[in-house]
Amino acid sequence: MFEARLLQGSLLKKVMDALKDLLNEAAWDCTDAGIQLQAMDNSHVSLVSLNLRAEGFDKYRCDRNLSMGMNLGSMSKILKCASDKDIITIKAQDNADTVTFVFESPEQDKVSDYEMKLMNLDQEHLGIPETDYACTIKLPSSEFARICRDLSQFGESMVISCTKEGVKFSATGDIGTGNIKLAQSAKVDKEEEAVVIEMQEPVSLTFACRYLNSFTKATSLSKSVQLSMSPEVPLVVEYKIEDIGHVRYYLAPKIEDEEAA
Amino acid sequence: MMNSNSKNFANKGPGGRNGPPPAKKVKGIDEKKPNYDEEYGEPDEAFMFAEMDSDDLIGQGPEVKQTTAKWARPSVPELSEEKDGLIFQQLDIDYYTDKAMKGMPGAQSGTVATMRIFGVTRQQNSVCCHVHGFAPYFYVSVTTNFRPEQCRQFQEALNKALIADSRSKQEIHEFVLAVDFMERESMYGYHENKKSPFLKITLALPPFIAAAKRLLERGEIAAPFNSMAYVAYESNIDFEIRYMVDADIVGCNWIELPPGSWRLRSHSTGHPITRCQIEVDVAWNKVISHAPEGEWADVAPFRILSFDIECAGRKGIFPEADKDRVIQIANMVSLYGETEPFIRNIMTLDTCAPIIGSQVMSYKLEDELLDKWSDFVREVDPDIITGYNICNFDLTYLLNRAKHLKRSKFDFLGRIKDKKSAIKETMIQSKQMGKRENKSINIEGRVQFDLLLVLLRDYKLRSYTLNSVSYHFLCEQKEDVHHSIITELQEGNPQTRRRLAVYCLKDAYLPLRLLDKLMCLTNYMEMARVTGVPLSYLLTRGQQIKVVSQLLRKTKEQGLLMPVHKAEAGEEFEGATVIEPIRGYYSQPIATLDFSSLYPSIMMAHNLCYTSLLNPRDKDKLKEDEYIKTPAGNYFVKASVRKGLLPDILEALLSARKKAKKDLAVETDPLRKKVLDGRQLALKISANSVYGFTGAQVGKLPCLEISQSVTAFGRMMIEKTSAEVEAKFRVENGYAHDAKVIYGDTDSVMVKFGVSTVEEAMTLGREAAEFVSAKFVKPINLEFEKVYFPYLLINKKRYAGLYWTKPDKFDKMDCKGIETVRRDNCQLVANLINTCLQKILMDRDPDGALEYAKQTISDLLCNKVDISLLVITKELTKTDKDYANKQAHVELAHKMRKRDAGTAPKLGDRVPYVIIAAAKNTPAYLKAEDPIYVLENSIPIDAQYYLENQLSKPLVRIFEPILGSKAESSLLHGDHTRTRSVVTSKVGFMANFATRKSACVGCKTVLPDDSAVCKFCKPKESEFYQREVGQLYALEEKFNRLWTECQRCQGSLNEEVLCSNRDCPIFYMRKKVKKDLCEQEKLMKRFGQP
Repeated sequence: MFEARLLQGSLLKKVMDALKDLLNEAAWDCTDAGIQLQAMDNSHVSLVSLNLRAEGFDKYRCDRNLSMGMNLGSMSKILKCASDKDIITIKAQDNADTVTFVFESPEQDKVSDYEMKLMNLDQEHLGIPETDYACTIKLPSSEFARICRDLSQFGESMVISCTKEGVKFSATGDIGTGNIKLAQSAKVDKEEEAVVIEMQEPVSLTFACRYLNSFTKATSLSKSVQLSMSPEVPLVVEYKIEDIGHVRYYLAPKIEDEEAA
Repeated sequence: MMNSNSKNFANKGPGGRNGPPPAKKVKGIDEKKPNYDEEYGEPDEAFMFAEMDSDDLIGQGPEVKQTTAKWARPSVPELSEEKDGLIFQQLDIDYYTDKAMKGMPGAQSGTVATMRIFGVTRQQNSVCCHVHGFAPYFYVSVTTNFRPEQCRQFQEALNKALIADSRSKQEIHEFVLAVDFMERESMYGYHENKKSPFLKITLALPPFIAAAKRLLERGEIAAPFNSMAYVAYESNIDFEIRYMVDADIVGCNWIELPPGSWRLRSHSTGHPITRCQIEVDVAWNKVISHAPEGEWADVAPFRILSFDIECAGRKGIFPEADKDRVIQIANMVSLYGETEPFIRNIMTLDTCAPIIGSQVMSYKLEDELLDKWSDFVREVDPDIITGYNICNFDLTYLLNRAKHLKRSKFDFLGRIKDKKSAIKETMIQSKQMGKRENKSINIEGRVQFDLLLVLLRDYKLRSYTLNSVSYHFLCEQKEDVHHSIITELQEGNPQTRRRLAVYCLKDAYLPLRLLDKLMCLTNYMEMARVTGVPLSYLLTRGQQIKVVSQLLRKTKEQGLLMPVHKAEAGEEFEGATVIEPIRGYYSQPIATLDFSSLYPSIMMAHNLCYTSLLNPRDKDKLKEDEYIKTPAGNYFVKASVRKGLLPDILEALLSARKKAKKDLAVETDPLRKKVLDGRQLALKISANSVYGFTGAQVGKLPCLEISQSVTAFGRMMIEKTSAEVEAKFRVENGYAHDAKVIYGDTDSVMVKFGVSTVEEAMTLGREAAEFVSAKFVKPINLEFEKVYFPYLLINKKRYAGLYWTKPDKFDKMDCKGIETVRRDNCQLVANLINTCLQKILMDRDPDGALEYAKQTISDLLCNKVDISLLVITKELTKTDKDYANKQAHVELAHKMRKRDAGTAPKLGDRVPYVIIAAAKNTPAYLKAEDPIYVLENSIPIDAQYYLENQLSKPLVRIFEPILGSKAESSLLHGDHTRTRSVVTSKVGFMANFATRKSACVGCKTVLPDDSAVCKFCKPKESEFYQREVGQLYALEEKFNRLWTECQRCQGSLNEEVLCSNRDCPIFYMRKKVKKDLCEQEKLMKRFGQP
């Protein structure tokens, strides 16, 4: 028996928004520690990793480890039926081929439940080894979303360079070039609005804008976002979800002369 | 010799077509007069361009060496010019220019054109016959004030004009040999059967025709002849065709030279210029040509040489003749009509272990190898040279290689002793085949019959590699040694070279088998006989020349002349009619009524022809009942006034076909049976091509009035048939049910009579056919041919059904326009649709079909479908920049060229590709990938693409008539689509970075370590182990079976399989299973030591 009750139902809706742009279907791995999801996008260029810890749920029960294959399109349709204030419970039997979503209105006067057929997904489970990064940049998530949107007008790819002075995002294309420089915030009023750079060595890497834009679909999950970079390892874009976990996106840097597979 | 005066005409050449002159076989050493050719060249539907080779092709050719009795032709019996006739079958006709020969008709001095006929006697002796005295000519129309007495004066004037035009310092003074005044009639339009005055102008050499025509049309001739409006007739006829028509010779017929008419060239009496065993001179009017009937329908024992070469290429680069050695040449020689070759040998560079049944000749040096092969060709003296892609690869490569190595005697491959073979680039473009780059090589007296070119012309295939062709027609897979391994094998030991030799021999043998199986030679020879053109024309020229040749033979009999048509694009006309189909699945028998040979019979019934075409202005001169108005609004006179040529030709063709079919039924000799079958086929094709000829806008002689009237009649007849049938077969008229026409197209009508058995439907069908036939003019005939039961009518030109011609058992499943046959789909679609149709139609089990479709979709999503079934092929027809839109196969070819230029597809190749998964919204053209690359790197396939873009439409189409509108949802979104498996790509950055975690074999949850099952599944571990072991065994067995299959195919069970045949499904399966097996073995290890 698996059961997870989330008071802030809207959180799950936002998580769906953060995933469904990149993934069509995914396996949700449930253990007594919480829910995890790791999957590569179709083109195998980026990887999404979602972690929702058990203690973040109002109620969490997982008798045995489960791997539930879900069609994210269908799941998203179901979650659209929930109101933002609803309390959402996910339930499944051990070895079941369906999963149930229960939506309760805050006043407990309306309860709806939806059952969804599970998919039998046969795919490799991937993991990303922990790495030390040469630099990490923390910035407001809305700022990052804006930068990605603006620069993707110029070209297919974007260069992110991090130096002592700050971080520079730039793109070049047919219409011209765009550069956005962010300096480390001098004084911090609100922590989430600050730009914080930690750097061991300068790094400059190129990434495909389309993926970055997909990542920013997670903007509503967190006020700030953290980018971690090192030469020759994937970029990590992390959105912390308050009290419960995080969504991390990994993206392979573009290498000169290599076509996007 | 006339080489130097050629450019003089150039200065005055008309500004007309700027393109280089049309490619024609190099006929004689003197034919290098590009500008004469400008007008002489014909605007056929196949425009051919070529660079005239400027090298002198004359050299001192080597003598034929005789080495073994097995290779050489049988020796020539003693021949007496006075007592013996000479009978042989001709295979090729060309002409050359030379000094006039004494004692022959025609011009007695100067340079003349001489025809050369190559052939073979019944005794296998090769013959070259020089035919003297036939001169080229054409006609011009003149006004009525030209008096016949002026001919002499006109001849002199024209001659002068030509001399002035050529400004030649040469000794040619007599350009115009004769001018004759005669009464003839133009074949275009009805002229009240009155003849008008024409001049027949006979010239010394064929190229002069164009010049004379130009001068006359521009009035560049002395007064009083300069102001007459001359219109040229028959000036665009190839000289060979002209000769064959006038001498009544058709392609590949038997020629007889009666005793006393011919002179043997021998070393003592003359100078044989060819390598033929018998070389004779004869006057053109002494040659007897036998129509291919009765005993003359035979085919002489032609020698057919099939060969294949192997080159030692470098890795990644396609062999280049100036760098890469020729290491093996395999030869097979067979006699026409015998299935097995009587010479099989292989010439190898370096030693080679013996091969049973084949002679192995090894040489130390490549020079020696090439020289020996050239000697071999001269000694064997083949009449026909075949092979696979020999024109564009093997022959070209050998010639270039020999040139590079300076083998001076190699080039003399033809039958003209001192004539070298050379390569020319030609571009051929025709509606039938699209644009193609070809190499043309002159080998006089031997017909190059490249099997690849034949297949490209006659068959629509997914792939034209020899592998896939041999599988398609012979149902045999063949080993394919990738050219990167060839060098390794060559540099190994005698055993590895033997390996290569066996492969090479097979490649030489297969074309012979295919020729035999497909009866290409027989059919082509019969086509040449029926249409009267030389054999070689059929492969190098378009369709039109065949009809022209037939027309000329008729016009000659009737004193008609063929006008010269200027090619220009005209308006389109309405095509055939289609009765709107009433779609659905019919479980009642549907009778099909067909008009037999619809278009030919319309032309015959209504006397539609060039000669009967009536100008609307003139119709009042005729009585009402002497002409007809066609549904397209054109007027034609009736046969009683003037019988048309085309109806005449068609009648002859169709009655000949009837006769051939009748003979075929009683013939017992298998060889003659083949010939007759080939003939009836050739006759049928020819009859149908006449209509096409009148409609070809850029053709020799299009006539829109004819073609649009024909289709208009066709439309009218289909509609009338439909109305008649529905009016007669009604309950009121005593029939059990009302008949309903559910569909009609071009020449057939499908009727539902409402009866429930095939037998009843047949009876009614026959009755209806007879009833309707009676309402049309003879020889239009509506035939009842078949019943479809059941019948699945999907759309216009798309239907399927079981085909019954007798009431007790169906003949076959017939599918039209359904994905089973189309090439732009993957094989999976064809297989799936085919099986579904079989289940629906034969087993009457639509549910089973649906189940099967679902299972296939599920397999596709689970990555269980063989990649070979997902391969889509498209032809690379243009270079990169010519494609307006980005296309998958073009992009892929580009990508492959970057990876490995040697194996990348080239222009004209069909590119195989699969669609791989990519980020959302990636355009499809970027998702194409080389199947092998996908397999080797386990790149995920875009199953969704295959489901939505390939399978869904055709599936929904066939299931919609059965399931209704819910077909789509139940097929594409049912439970069976909920199991998927995704492979993880081995290329790409992330693949190297991410680590794989093991998952439980039972419940797929992630495991902390590398054990097999999670703690919850532990109790059932043994059960899972059993399952996986079973899986392992199944994979092992599959792999072993595939491996032995391949070993068997390569003909050796104790050697490793090297084959990389991309057309062979086994190859893909073997690769895939090998990979799956490795994975499975890894999985088994996780269970630990048992």
